[in-house]
Amino acid sequence: MVRNWIEYRTDAWVQWCPGCGNFGILTAVYKAFAELDLDPKETVVVSGIGCSSRIPYYINVSGVHTLHGRPIPVATGIKLANPRLTVVVHSGDGDLLGIGMAHFVALGRRNVDLTVILHDNAVYGLTKGQAGPTLPAWFRTKALRAPNYQDAVEPVLIALASGYTFIARAYAYHAERLKEIIKEAIKHKGSSLVQVLQPCPTYNNVMTPKWYEERIFYVDEKYPDYDPTVKAPEERDRKIAEILDKFYKDPNKIPLGILLRDVSKDTFEERIEKIIPGYLKNPPGLRPTDLDGKSLIKPEEVFRDRLVKA
Amino acid sequence: MSQDRVDLGLIIGGPQGGGIESAGQIAVRTLMSKGYDVYGTREYHSNITGAHSYFNLRARSDIARSVRLPVDFLIALDAESVFTHMDDVKENGFFVYDSGTSGTKIDKIAPMPKPLKVRVKDKLSKLGLGDTVADAIKYVESKNVKVVGVPIKELLKETAKRSGLSVVSVARVANTIGLAAAFALIGIEKEHIEKAINLYFAGKEKVIKPNVVAVETTYEYIKDNFKLGNPLPNGPYQGRLRMVVNGNDVVAMGKIAGGLTLQTYYPITPAADEALYMEGYRVVEPIEEAKKRLGLDKIGTLVIQTEDEISAIGMAIGAALAGARVATTTSGPGFSLMNEMVSMAVIMEVPIVITIWQRAGPSTGMATRNGQQDLLISMFSGHGDTPKIVLASGDHEEAFYDSIRALNWAEKFQTPVIHLVDKMLSGSLKSIDPPDPTKVKIERGKLLRKVDGEYKRFLITDDGISPRAPLGVAKQMISSLVHDEYGMVTEDPVLRNQMTEKMLRKIETIEKEIPESERYSLYGDPDADVLLISWGTNKGPILDAMERLSRDGIKVKFFQIRTFKPFPAKALNEAMDNSKVIIGIESNILEQMRLITRMTILRDIPHMIVKYTGRTMYEQEIYFGVKEILEKGSRKVVVSDGA
Repeated sequence: MVRNWIEYRTDAWVQWCPGCGNFGILTAVYKAFAELDLDPKETVVVSGIGCSSRIPYYINVSGVHTLHGRPIPVATGIKLANPRLTVVVHSGDGDLLGIGMAHFVALGRRNVDLTVILHDNAVYGLTKGQAGPTLPAWFRTKALRAPNYQDAVEPVLIALASGYTFIARAYAYHAERLKEIIKEAIKHKGSSLVQVLQPCPTYNNVMTPKWYEERIFYVDEKYPDYDPTVKAPEERDRKIAEILDKFYKDPNKIPLGILLRDVSKDTFEERIEKIIPGYLKNPPGLRPTDLDGKSLIKPEEVFRDRLVKA
Repeated sequence: MSQDRVDLGLIIGGPQGGGIESAGQIAVRTLMSKGYDVYGTREYHSNITGAHSYFNLRARSDIARSVRLPVDFLIALDAESVFTHMDDVKENGFFVYDSGTSGTKIDKIAPMPKPLKVRVKDKLSKLGLGDTVADAIKYVESKNVKVVGVPIKELLKETAKRSGLSVVSVARVANTIGLAAAFALIGIEKEHIEKAINLYFAGKEKVIKPNVVAVETTYEYIKDNFKLGNPLPNGPYQGRLRMVVNGNDVVAMGKIAGGLTLQTYYPITPAADEALYMEGYRVVEPIEEAKKRLGLDKIGTLVIQTEDEISAIGMAIGAALAGARVATTTSGPGFSLMNEMVSMAVIMEVPIVITIWQRAGPSTGMATRNGQQDLLISMFSGHGDTPKIVLASGDHEEAFYDSIRALNWAEKFQTPVIHLVDKMLSGSLKSIDPPDPTKVKIERGKLLRKVDGEYKRFLITDDGISPRAPLGVAKQMISSLVHDEYGMVTEDPVLRNQMTEKMLRKIETIEKEIPESERYSLYGDPDADVLLISWGTNKGPILDAMERLSRDGIKVKFFQIRTFKPFPAKALNEAMDNSKVIIGIESNILEQMRLITRMTILRDIPHMIVKYTGRTMYEQEIYFGVKEILEKGSRKVVVSDGA
């Protein structure tokens, strides 16, 4: 370890409720960043709106606190303008899978080299406990006036279908395992999803630590032979079938760990380099735009398809 | 038309997908080759194929900048065009149509809108005429218009025979036959149209050949059956290197020349073509000096198609935070989606240009039709107190330079800049001299590429603008929440006021640093009693109407508002003080410019000429509108010319 994880703390008051799963995630992030020796100046944490999206204020790297549901577009813009930055998105289940679902799917299609950490507590905490998109149907958490009569979405399956190349699930109270998974996600070249299951002691009185701990299992413990790696594009669908077959048999069990690591696909940045050679060397955030205020081009020398010698 | 001054109007109409766009492109190049200045605009339905579409163009030996009705020449490639445009040719003008359509009954034309059918049939039946193309042609002839029936099918057969191809494979040159017939009658030598075909279809020999054969065949036909027009005098632009651009092209060119490095968009009419044109030039050759001094062999511009407009503006904002010079391009519906992010860009102090290609609303409205209906949403976009800059371009050349100015202002003042353009600009072709980007210096404001020690992204400064280091240059916090100088969230009332007042000082800085002279243009006799106030692409038709009014002895001046925020308050007050009759002109029903003027300088514009059919503004509409107001004192004249 090169840096001490304490260096990644800020002096801001952490305003989460006592016992909140976000504390576990925050600690795992500090340690993962320290062990990866991330330069605070070249690391950007981007969040949406919600309890978990306050996290950028608590991490001593650059932070961008955006709008509800919109961290992915902003993070994508940052990464594409300067691919040398390490960009990590923190977003809640309402943020990512409710209002921001279109962006969540689109990121998978692009495979931008970003890490998305989903703080999943199945409720909207900051607005006092409405049902989140991952709250199972007919669960009635304490703020609900009626049981939840909408079905839940399954982010791992959506990520598999959308094209994410690193997909993992973790549990907020297992900080050490979580840290290792976050490190792998950040090291992975491409779009990574880490879904972190996170009890909300204030509003989710159904999905308690006990509830989770009765259901979770680690895939590398239960299936030591399971290899999440996909090396060629044609292997991906078979790997998805294996994941469904092995880990989704019992609806009362929740698989944790690295479920997929697909190294067969180009990142979006590599694809851009193919259509704009030189992009990685001179990305949009770094390339010169002018010569002391003078344009770098002459229109008549560039836009030749519009020339007419009258 | 006098011999020395050429001023020629021409419409070519036919089904969408029937080569109207190509015909327009070829016609513009033909008339440029003849040495004229050319302006042409296309009207079309929101449809892929079959619905009526037409191109109206004007060539002048001095400057062409608007279209008018009626025109001198009309080419109707199908029956619907005959019925649609039977009143659009002036006395002694030419009406060229496909004689093979003579027997077609109006009710057999499936794509033709029913209300138009009813209006045409009523008109013809009142004159004792039937409902076929031949009846419509009789009506056209009764108005002293010269009708020329061209047997397009026969000429296609002849073209096929001469090029050794099948009739089916040359069917697409029907548009060229129509165009060639008109040019033969007008007195344009055929080498100009042949040159235009070679230019427009450059590299596509298989397309060029039948088109050129069609031109020869048609000129012979006109010569043998009618009479070739006396050659018109050549225009003054002959021999000059020029460009032919539509509004979408020229904005893309301005942005690339102006140092844009990244643009986002979600497909929408009429904005998408701007992004597509730009993407075609994603890698370009810089000038020699740049190669040498910057070591750049190529310049890359990243254009990203996003999943929606929210993502388009979000990605652009993210890229700007990381140091890119950015824009996003959209139209009204897309801009509605972007609004929450406009507000975020204000509080995050992000330099971003939003180009809005206005079209006819509300809602989906008429996607391919014109409107100036997004001024209010631009001025008031974004919740909370959200200062921004709003500018509007009046023509193709202005749009080029405004695109650079918009990027400059965004970076200088670190706030969203909304650049208003419209469908009339996007869909019109114009001959221009190659624009010179060195006329506008590229400015990036207080951009830092290096920071030593502690950095406050939102440092409180006298001018309200903080030095801006991109992500990666300095560690920083950027928040959509109210924040302190470091970007850390705060709800402290004292800090809140300090930061909000910093924003107010930024508005004052904008008012100070964008000189009044860049906010408006004043045309015509400054002592004229009649003042026209307008904005955007009404500029061309207004200037042309002014020429016509001055020939009637009516002196008019024209105040073009070029930026609504900051507003040219002083200059407009002066112009209004020095005028007796004040007339506003705009393409919306709410009189949005009038509302902004009242709000900003507390003065009313007492007379208005408005249009909201979704069609282009025409010269004659302004001419007759001004006359009506001068004669009758009308409060409002609603104009609605054009099919």
